[in-house]
Amino acid sequence: MIENDTKTMQINQTKASWVFFALIAIGVATFVIGLASSHPERAWQAYLINFLLWSAIAQGAVLFSAVMHMTNARWSGPLSGLSESFAAFFPISYILFLVLFLGRAHIFPWLHEDLHGKEVWLNIPFLFTRDCIGLLILYMLGFGYLFNALQLKLDPSQPKGKLRRSIFEAWQRNHRKPEDIKRRMTIWGGLYILAFALVLCLIGFDLVMSMDPHWISTLFGAYHFVKSFFIGLGALIILAAIIRIRQGEASGIKANHFHDVGKLFFGFCLLWADFFYVQLMVIYYGNIPEETHYVIVRTMLAPWNKLAWTVFIVCFIGPFFILLNQRIKTKPVLMLIICSIVIVGIWLEHLLLLGPALSHEAQSIPLSLSDGLISLGFLGLMAIAIGYFMKVFPEAVPATESN
Amino acid sequence: MPPKRHIMGLFKSEDKVVSAINELKQSSYQFIRVNTPIPSHKIMDALQLKRSWVGWFTLCGGILGFIGGFALAIFTATRWNLIVSGKPIIAIIPFVVVGFEVTILGSVFGNVIGLLTQTRLPSFRWFKYYDPRCSGEHFGVLAACEAMQEDGLKDFFQKQGAEVRVFETIRESPQL
Repeated sequence: MIENDTKTMQINQTKASWVFFALIAIGVATFVIGLASSHPERAWQAYLINFLLWSAIAQGAVLFSAVMHMTNARWSGPLSGLSESFAAFFPISYILFLVLFLGRAHIFPWLHEDLHGKEVWLNIPFLFTRDCIGLLILYMLGFGYLFNALQLKLDPSQPKGKLRRSIFEAWQRNHRKPEDIKRRMTIWGGLYILAFALVLCLIGFDLVMSMDPHWISTLFGAYHFVKSFFIGLGALIILAAIIRIRQGEASGIKANHFHDVGKLFFGFCLLWADFFYVQLMVIYYGNIPEETHYVIVRTMLAPWNKLAWTVFIVCFIGPFFILLNQRIKTKPVLMLIICSIVIVGIWLEHLLLLGPALSHEAQSIPLSLSDGLISLGFLGLMAIAIGYFMKVFPEAVPATESN
Repeated sequence: MPPKRHIMGLFKSEDKVVSAINELKQSSYQFIRVNTPIPSHKIMDALQLKRSWVGWFTLCGGILGFIGGFALAIFTATRWNLIVSGKPIIAIIPFVVVGFEVTILGSVFGNVIGLLTQTRLPSFRWFKYYDPRCSGEHFGVLAACEAMQEDGLKDFFQKQGAEVRVFETIRESPQL
């Protein structure tokens, strides 16, 4: 019976991975067709939005595990291990960033503008060098943390596969006690948290704020990394909910876990809105034309004002009132739906921030089916990455241990 | 009607308390309350208490505070009608600060009022049928029965592994 179950699981998993590969193929095809069309900038816009969104999800979800370890939290249980699986997207995210270099002519509207002295900071070689180094440091720290975190969880009697074997060999070379490993996790985790704040600030400034090069907000970087943790938590809840729905009690993820991580998600929903508000407040009071035009275009003028209200309702008002309820937070299906909607909302928020700078004088919101298809391609990449991690390290995620 | 006898079973183990509560509820004895030195989820679950209303007090306080905060800011601004740095008299964006703070204040007040009313505080009669060991290392399960059932209830507690304490009968009904 158990063998049968295992076989069915494997068939299901193979089927699922084919679906995700198909999604990737659709995404790539749509992107290439977009590049060949008369508006390649639209394809690059969708690419940039998705790169920012999915990288932020992976970085934010891994941050959850690091934060849980640093604060000695016990409540997260299997969620902590689950969040580490998002690290599998790091290499993909890095390659996606390098590909962005090819679209530099379409995604940096300031390339041929007079920047009034800002060209020292805003030039392609310096921008790509610093962001490449920043992301590399962040991802190395993430993997360093993971390398130690996995050592406490993996079963050394099953060194299957090349990657696993090389990791086991590295552990055996410098044999350590569990306390030592925990101490090293604290160091790597702490550095990862620090790098997360700094590098995501940098990415926020360079790839989002710089689109409107004459506009500045010193809080923008912090806004960007708070948002990243917010959607990272959302994606973690989605993953946990999928596993819980598929495997039921055997997954080890209980209603309490959903309740607790739901509370944290709710908290970061408030914090995200707070960071938005404190920026708005300063701009509103200062009333300097250089600063206000950014907000006026996005929140008061057509066509973007409708999108701004949609984002505000979908990412803040809606989740705020829904998540006040305790029982909703404990239901995996409902949390799956709410978090998915919020992530779509944050996708639209990226469009709101980047769109007006990339599509000047747009009469309607530049949104079409191709944006959706490219996003599905990125979803496929994320799913394949997580699936690969769970396949290579099944015991790192307690949810799959029982199968 | 003759007064009831009040008997407390003093337990050292949380699990035994849970099983005693479950069996007591099915018996003919009247279960009154549990005194516990520590908060315990297991015991809370076994008691099957009704959902607390305190959350609704907090929500109502918060909503009233939200409306009150904006009303306060708008009312005071319209008393003077002074234009400050070109902003409208009723400037909603900065008023969010006042609205938010008073929402929190209202929620806190609502919560405290809810807590006081729902837990029937202040109570001056808690020491009736109370054993000080319940503030130490014992859980006390208090039950009442008719005078003739006294031995049965004592046996019941002893079988559950408790130390038994019989209270002298007090005429008034106990504070639950």
